[in-house]
Amino acid sequence: MDELIYKLKQEIIEALNLEDMKPEDIDENASLFGEGLGLDSIDALELIVLMEKNYGIKLKDPAQGKEIFKSVTVMADFIQKNRTK
Amino acid sequence: MIKHNVYISPDKVLVDGKALTHNEKGSALLTELYRNNVSDYPKFFKMDTLSKLGFVASELLLNAEGNRDFEPREDRAVIFFNKHASLQADTHYQSTIQDPEHFFPSPAAFVYTLPNIVTGEIAIRNKYFGETSFIVVEDYDEKIIERNLKNSFQDPMTKSIIGGWLDCLDEEHFEAKIFLLYKD
Repeated sequence: MDELIYKLKQEIIEALNLEDMKPEDIDENASLFGEGLGLDSIDALELIVLMEKNYGIKLKDPAQGKEIFKSVTVMADFIQKNRTK
Repeated sequence: MIKHNVYISPDKVLVDGKALTHNEKGSALLTELYRNNVSDYPKFFKMDTLSKLGFVASELLLNAEGNRDFEPREDRAVIFFNKHASLQADTHYQSTIQDPEHFFPSPAAFVYTLPNIVTGEIAIRNKYFGETSFIVVEDYDEKIIERNLKNSFQDPMTKSIIGGWLDCLDEEHFEAKIFLLYKD
């Protein structure tokens, strides 16, 4: 799981162009939106694309993202349980 | 009356005619200008090259003007002109949907597939609520630019305009010739 969390942080940094940020700078338990990383709605869509592209997970309902993108840990847990690649 | 002007090409930066020293070229130059002159707006890194160009050019222009208070205002317009619209962003987005086997449309790439996005980026950063326009023309033509900006001053609300030429073909070919124009 730790390995997946680290990889996911790297993928988030790359997909969202979080320049100057290293995986170590992201608290895996902090909120991705609002106070935490301060991501916006376009970033949420980009995360949905990331999950499909890298892990073969297609969200049936985009509203699911609200729960899944709570933190990197929650996201990694969801990926581990639902990944098809 | 033009109060300040900024020129940026892949290897040259002028603010009010004075050259700014720099080490980088091309799009890396825009990042260098951001780091040296702005540095507090991380959304810069998400922008396409046209928006990065317009953003750093406007920052240099507004720093030259001074007294930046970021208070909401309706008396300033942002009006640019170019030849290549948002071609680089369009091409980049197309690359994310080109292959039916790897069809992953990028929302972050898609949002920049209009040239006027850069005028919005500048308006949001500075809390401008005046006119924002981006006019695509065949070639650089001072007369067309002058005529359009003059027309914009017919709106009694508009007292000044960040305007001029802002063109980007790719990361190595771009040009900003922008200025801060006040109503006579």
